[in-house]
Amino acid sequence: MTESFKVIDADVHNEQDDAALVPYLPEPWRSRVAKSGIGMAGSGYYSPVGVMKKDAIPPGGGKAGSDPDLMVKQLVERYDLEYAILTGVIYNISATHDPDFAAAICSAYNDFLIAEWLGKHRAFKGAMAVSTLDPVLAAREIDRIGGHPDIVEVIISSAARSPLGHRYYHPIYEAAERNGLPVAIHPGAEGAGSSTAPTSVGYPARYIEWHTNLSQTFMAHLVSIVTEGVFVKYPGLRLVLVEGGIAWLPPLMWRLDKNYKALRSTVPWLTKMPSEYIRDHCFLTTQPIEEPDNPQHLIDLFNMFDAENIILYSSDYPHWDFDAPDMILRRLKPEARRKIFYENAKKLYNL
Amino acid sequence: MAVHIVLDAADVPEGGHAVVELQGREIGIYRIGGHYYALNNYCPHQGAPMCAGYVSGTTMPSDVYEYEYAKKGEIIRCPWHGWEFDIKTGKSLFSDKVRVKSYEVRVTDGKIGIVLGK
Repeated sequence: MTESFKVIDADVHNEQDDAALVPYLPEPWRSRVAKSGIGMAGSGYYSPVGVMKKDAIPPGGGKAGSDPDLMVKQLVERYDLEYAILTGVIYNISATHDPDFAAAICSAYNDFLIAEWLGKHRAFKGAMAVSTLDPVLAAREIDRIGGHPDIVEVIISSAARSPLGHRYYHPIYEAAERNGLPVAIHPGAEGAGSSTAPTSVGYPARYIEWHTNLSQTFMAHLVSIVTEGVFVKYPGLRLVLVEGGIAWLPPLMWRLDKNYKALRSTVPWLTKMPSEYIRDHCFLTTQPIEEPDNPQHLIDLFNMFDAENIILYSSDYPHWDFDAPDMILRRLKPEARRKIFYENAKKLYNL
Repeated sequence: MAVHIVLDAADVPEGGHAVVELQGREIGIYRIGGHYYALNNYCPHQGAPMCAGYVSGTTMPSDVYEYEYAKKGEIIRCPWHGWEFDIKTGKSLFSDKVRVKSYEVRVTDGKIGIVLGK
C-alpha cells in the first residue's frame, strides 16, 4: 500500500447551467443568455463514454460538477484534498466569435465563481477565466478580479486562433504576472468555432484521434511561448499546462535545444537553452496520466526531465477520464509523490 | 464454497440490476434473458463503482468501416473511463488479461444465491 499524504488537485471542473450566469451579466448580454443560452461552440467529436463520469451526476438532477456538496463528499472528503483548484469550463468561450460577449461571459462566470463556490468550502480555490479573443479586455478582467484572496490562477483555452506565444496575447501574461497569478492552459474546444484545426494535419474523423492528439496543441503552444520570449519579457510568469499529457515533453525539450544551437540567432532574446525556460516557468498536470503496460516506463520517462518538481497532480473531476490520487503514480518514490501530489502546487499557488 | 442467498429472483427486473452487500464487498446482480450474473462493483482499472455504468450493446471486431452491433444489454461500461466489460463473463473487450471479478450465481426456489469461495 501507499503511504498517506496530503493532496492538492489542480484541475476540478465545477459546472453550472447557462441560466446560473444570467444574474451576473449586464445587458445586452443578460437578455441574450436568458433567451438563447451561452451557445458554446462544440468540437463536434462524439464519444460513447460521454464527457462526465456517470456517478458524479447529482441525485437531485443537474449537471455533474454543479453541486458543491456532492463535490465535497465525492472528491474533497473521499480523497482528503487540502485544496481543489476549481477550473470550470468557461475558458472554452474563446472558441466562439464575439470578443465582447466572450469577455462578458468570463466576467459573469468569475463573479459567479466567487459568490457561489469559493466560500462554500475551505478547500475551494478558483481559476478565473478570461477569453483570448481580446487580450486587452482579458488583462482588464485579471486586474479586476485577480486580487481576490481565493483566486489563485488565470485559465485560458488551448483552443485558440494562433499559437499562444504570439505578441497579440502578451497583455494576458503581463497582467497575470502583475497580479502574481500563474496562467493555466486547458483543452476542450479544439477544432470548434473560431479555433484552429485540432491536429496539425487537420480534422480527424473520431474522438479517439481528437483526444489523443490534444498533446499536439500543447506542444505547439509551448514552443511558441518559449521562443517568442514570453518568459524573458515576464520573468515572474508561471505557466500550467493542464490536461495536455506529459510523455511528449522530454523529446520536445531535446529537439528544441538541438535546434537552438543552430538557430539561436533567430531568437536572440533567449539566453539559456529553451528547455531551461520550461523547467523554470512551466508546470504540467498529471491527468490523463499515460499508462504504459510496464509502469516502470513512465518512471523512466519522469527521470528524463525534472518531473518531480514540475508536475502537479490533477483529477479532472467530474470528467470521464478522472484519475484518483490513490490509483496513479503509485510506484514513484515517496518524496516525488509528496511533491507531485502536494508540495509543488502548494508552492505554485501560495497556499 | 458457500452459497449466500441475497435476493428474491423477482427483485431484479429483466435487463436491470441490483447491488447487494456481501461480506464487505458490493456485488451487482444483472438479469439478462432470464439468467443472472454477478459482478464485483469495482473496476480493476482505478476502482470505480462499476455498477453505476451504462449497460448497452457494442460493436464487435469487424472489417474496416463495417459496424457489427451485438451483445445488446450484455455490455457494461465503467462509469469513469468507459472501459467495456461483458456482463456474462466479466471479461473486458480490449484484453484477455483484464476483467472485472465475477461470481457464480445459483437460483433455487426463486432465490438468488451467490457462490463465494472454491
